[in-house]
Amino acid sequence: MTVATDAPARRRLPSVGGTVPLTAARLLRLELRHNAMPWLLPLIAALFWFDSYRPSMGMPQYWVLRTFWNMGQGHTIVDFVPFVAGVAAWMGSRDGRRGTADLLTAAARPRWAMQLATWSATAIWAVGSYLVFVGVMFALYAHQGVRGEPPWWWVAVGAAAILACSAVGFAVGALYPSRFTAPLAAFGALVAMAMSSQIGFSHTSGWAQILPTNSNGNFQPDSGMLYPWLPDLPIARIMFLAGIAVAALGVLGLPAAAGGPRLRRAAAVATLAGLAAAGAGVALAGTARLGPHGLVIPALHDAANDRPIAATPDCAGTGFRVCLNPDYRSELAHVTAALAPVVREVAGLPGAPVRAAQTPAIYSAGEGQGGQAMTISGHPPVLGMPLGALGLPGAFGWTDGMTAGQLRLLFAHAFVGAGNGVGTPAQQAVQAVLLQGAGLPIAMQPNLLGSVGLPSWAPATGGPGPTTPVPATGPVYAAARRLAAQPPAARHAWLGAHLAALRAGQLTLAQLP
Amino acid sequence: MNVELTELTRKFGHTQAVAGVTLQAGAGVFGLLGPNGAGKTSLLRMMATVLPPTSGTLRLLGRDPGGYGPRREIRRRLGYLPQNLGYYPGFTVYDFVEYFALLKDMPPGQVPSAVATAIEQVGLGDKARIKLRTLSGGMLRRVGIAQAIVNQPELLLLDEPTAGLDPEQRVAFRALLREFGERATVIVSTHLVEDVAAACSEVTLMDSGAIVFHGTPDELIAQGEGSGAAGDAPLERGYSAILAAARSGVAARS
Repeated sequence: MTVATDAPARRRLPSVGGTVPLTAARLLRLELRHNAMPWLLPLIAALFWFDSYRPSMGMPQYWVLRTFWNMGQGHTIVDFVPFVAGVAAWMGSRDGRRGTADLLTAAARPRWAMQLATWSATAIWAVGSYLVFVGVMFALYAHQGVRGEPPWWWVAVGAAAILACSAVGFAVGALYPSRFTAPLAAFGALVAMAMSSQIGFSHTSGWAQILPTNSNGNFQPDSGMLYPWLPDLPIARIMFLAGIAVAALGVLGLPAAAGGPRLRRAAAVATLAGLAAAGAGVALAGTARLGPHGLVIPALHDAANDRPIAATPDCAGTGFRVCLNPDYRSELAHVTAALAPVVREVAGLPGAPVRAAQTPAIYSAGEGQGGQAMTISGHPPVLGMPLGALGLPGAFGWTDGMTAGQLRLLFAHAFVGAGNGVGTPAQQAVQAVLLQGAGLPIAMQPNLLGSVGLPSWAPATGGPGPTTPVPATGPVYAAARRLAAQPPAARHAWLGAHLAALRAGQLTLAQLP
Repeated sequence: MNVELTELTRKFGHTQAVAGVTLQAGAGVFGLLGPNGAGKTSLLRMMATVLPPTSGTLRLLGRDPGGYGPRREIRRRLGYLPQNLGYYPGFTVYDFVEYFALLKDMPPGQVPSAVATAIEQVGLGDKARIKLRTLSGGMLRRVGIAQAIVNQPELLLLDEPTAGLDPEQRVAFRALLREFGERATVIVSTHLVEDVAAACSEVTLMDSGAIVFHGTPDELIAQGEGSGAAGDAPLERGYSAILAAARSGVAARS
């Protein structure tokens, strides 16, 4: 049936080209007002407080230690990501759940542009609240006088992780709209973060470094104090996460209903570019190698970051001076007092250091790397202390007593020339005697070695961390007791005469008096 | 012509929802009648550029919606109220209408006044700041109408627009339809023959995906006179007579 009626007068609508940004801004304003993310912010804030902020307060006042838990191990990311992924999926599935598909399809604006506006609002809320929460936490740290430089690169990694999760969650929601999509996305994100952490605990190199909550290589001692934070790994992770975000959003622009040919081509390019960026990030992380101050990615490394941060040391002590980086100023009195007994014990002996100076800690990946050896070098001899790699009071359960014990132990260990290893039996025996003279009875020393000794000693001492008292028995301790029983003057004289041979590893237990 | 359909068909699997519809329409209000499953909604969705036809040609507002550019231009000048109105419960009436005004690429400067006008036209001026989740079904329908007319469309497609409206609102709505019909093509799919009688200048009756009658309401009434067809009102009797004739193999077309 054909019906003809009068042709209507055609009305010319104003051109929309110049008004697109304003329209997009108004759409964004509407989406921001009606986004679900703000409803979850109180919950995230509470979680952030209990999981990210409070645990960090037990750490000493250094940025690298205060932020090790929340930034280095990624707890801040873990606090946000499940909620962000869930809300993003909820917002992404909104049109499918609410049955507005026909209305939206009949609208002039490309579907992809509408989805990007909705996602942008979610991302702005998520990333914005992350930055605000982290900003408040950092402001509190700064107010408390935390020393060093904040780990800004790792803040950026967290923001990129949240952005990526919001994009992936949104894409999943848009592609599979259902009321179950959001909880599943949240749970999936939680599992992904947990897996990322678990893989991170066991993988200290290779591709796994790209995982956002892999703490290996993140927070090396002295970062932001003696050396700048290395941006190599953060840059690779940001590439990876931003690539995932772009690819996930690009996928939404691929269907025919998403928009016009040009827009869909742009979406395809974005998807490919995102995948390429993510792949490049993984590849770059795979080339990471351990440098002295953290993980170095050759293609991204700037040699300027290897230069130490210029600083005039703060010194204390009369006679034997102890000099530390000014950021470690608060440790100065404690370190000076802890070293004093063992300094007195070796005073006057050949090679006895005349002062102690802080040296940069050498980065070592993995968990449980509890310290590094001290060194004695130069003329006159100077004790080099990698303080950043040692246990500091308040950090990871270390007490004042444990820290003092470790400082004395490592001093004596360096003095007998035992290096990084556990030392020869004769060196161990002399070390035990020096420590006893410094106030650490031989009977307590096996436990001390097990709990605060270097990781490289573990095979020899059975450590680290014995839970039951270990008796100081065996030929080493028998020889130590024999030497300790000598009159101080005789002992001192014997040491003065035999230190060179002892340090060269040429003495046996039988040669001890 | 604002609407030019030639042998338009649409299949869903083996089911033919629209079977070779040819129709041309300029300004005016057109009623689209038919029993459930007649193909009215599928035809409206094709005219709304939501659903691509399986075959046939479709020109809307002088453009072929097969191309992206023309389709977008059509959509800027289109108003569409689907049968099942999806909505966002957390949006206010104003926000919802504004949202679709923006999605229709209206110049941002014109949006506030256009939204206010559309909301007034459907009698929801005092509810503009109320969230949609608190509105009754009839009020939601009026919100749907407001979003459809906010851009002053040249082609207005309304699927069951009066469902849930109270008599007073229905009267007001018919007046609105007539007003729009003076300058635009308005196609109203409805089950309510009184809407057709009161507002439509022409009526099209569909059955099994095909048009079985097109004419004025008076011509439809005439089809029922003396036919003995069931119905309480003259239009209903015409409607029943046409369907009975169509189903018995006698096409009744004017």
